[in-house]
Amino acid sequence: MSSEPLRSLSARIYIAYVALATGLGIAAVMVLRPAFGHRVLEFAGLEAMPKAMAKSFYTQRVASLFAQHCTGCHGQDRQKAELRLDSYAFAMRGGRHGAVILPGNPKASALMTRISLPAGDDRAMPPEGKTPLSPDEVTVIRIWIAGGASPTTAFIKGAPRLVPEVTFPELDADAARRMRAPLAGEVARLSALYPGILVYESRNSAGLELNATLRGQAFSDADLKAFLPLSGGILRMDLSGTAVTEASAPVLARMTALKSLRLADTKTGDAAVSALAALKSLKSLTVTGTAATKPALAPLAKRGVEIHGDANAD
Amino acid sequence: MQTDTAAPPDERVRVWDAPTRLFHWSLVALVFVSWLSADQGYMTVHLWSGLSLLALLLFRFGWGLMGSTTSRFSDFLHAPHKTLAYLRTMAGGGRVLHAGHNPAGGLMVVALLAVLLAQVATGLFANDSLRFSGPLALFVSDDASDGLTRIHGIAFDIILVLVWLHVVAVGFHHFVKGDNLVGPMVSGKKQRAHVPEGATIIFAHPALALGLLAACAALAAWILF
Repeated sequence: MSSEPLRSLSARIYIAYVALATGLGIAAVMVLRPAFGHRVLEFAGLEAMPKAMAKSFYTQRVASLFAQHCTGCHGQDRQKAELRLDSYAFAMRGGRHGAVILPGNPKASALMTRISLPAGDDRAMPPEGKTPLSPDEVTVIRIWIAGGASPTTAFIKGAPRLVPEVTFPELDADAARRMRAPLAGEVARLSALYPGILVYESRNSAGLELNATLRGQAFSDADLKAFLPLSGGILRMDLSGTAVTEASAPVLARMTALKSLRLADTKTGDAAVSALAALKSLKSLTVTGTAATKPALAPLAKRGVEIHGDANAD
Repeated sequence: MQTDTAAPPDERVRVWDAPTRLFHWSLVALVFVSWLSADQGYMTVHLWSGLSLLALLLFRFGWGLMGSTTSRFSDFLHAPHKTLAYLRTMAGGGRVLHAGHNPAGGLMVVALLAVLLAQVATGLFANDSLRFSGPLALFVSDDASDGLTRIHGIAFDIILVLVWLHVVAVGFHHFVKGDNLVGPMVSGKKQRAHVPEGATIIFAHPALALGLLAACAALAAWILF
């Protein structure tokens, strides 16, 4: 190769050429890499970021699927193939190879193709080892794209029913211990006297459940009265088949936290039912096989307490 | 081996040794292969090109200490005020001759070597979130690997900027100053008129370069196996 220079330019002209080449280079990359191009235009304020409405089908159904299955690799922290799916605007921009969602055309949309591939396929998304989308989830995305991939449409006919997510509270043993502390001594004493019939409703709760049915006729009014120290903590009480009678009415009236009470097949009646009128927390009452009458039950029913079992007509 | 630069002006004198020139163009090729393989998802190729780059960079650092005169850091690394003075002279239309890298070029060499080394080092711990991880990724937490992967991506953008600046600077010398820098990096020889009067270049023996390269390649291979 010759070591002679090809030609000579002034510094000013050379810088102009460099500026031109730099501009053309950036423009070329913007065309070849649409994701980069969008970033540049957005940075220059030449492109707006469309936003999806909060109650749109996209926000309610599609975005959550992207968050669950895709944004780990196509989100804020990582942008595999320069693709982000953590917002409507990003999803519609596409990635390194252009748009992955073609509104109205799921068959031609790369995103649909990739999430529909069999699990063993190298190009399948999510990749091997990650949880694949369920058929219903794939359908949700397909009908959204088929319907125009709108950021505003709230309802799309034929969408699989949304299964609400169930979350369980984290166990906080210290908090539960603190809540149980005021009655812990009485709970321990009564549990020792009446083993197996007194339990907490859950590991996170201080609420108690008393199930005296296990003791049957051996559980009397006097036994129920023994639980009065826990009157503010017992939420559910099942006295079905016990020897409890109308004489327990004053005791029942003091069970202020009670939500559910079963008196089936006991010798209780209107006096016991009337005593429950003061229990504002009560939501459910079972009176099958008792002497309770409709007039006595009426105020509770009127207040919205669910009454289970046939009451006497008079 | 020594080159005496006291010769007729139109004569071409040797300024670059073969190892430095081979390093330069191998580096260009491997950076391109590394980019292309990652872009197209050929991660096994990417791994090998990355390890080759590592071996090559280690070699260059060693060669910068024990290689020929124009390859040594001591020849082209200058104090900041001297580099600024050089740039001022060039901007003012003046001319300063250097047998090897000029002060600004030397700075670019070090910057590129440093960023490339960072690029290769982070690549060893990086992952592609799919089926590929760098050979040392298992030795760090997932979060650390993800963080280094992000740096791996940023470092590549810095490399692109530095390469562009390098090309622009070479073009400036070629088209504005009439000093062809590309030809000598291929042939190893420069026109006598572009070499300072009385410059003496001592060339290291090629066997030293081969030995150093073999040691660096063995070190890179050890990381993999």
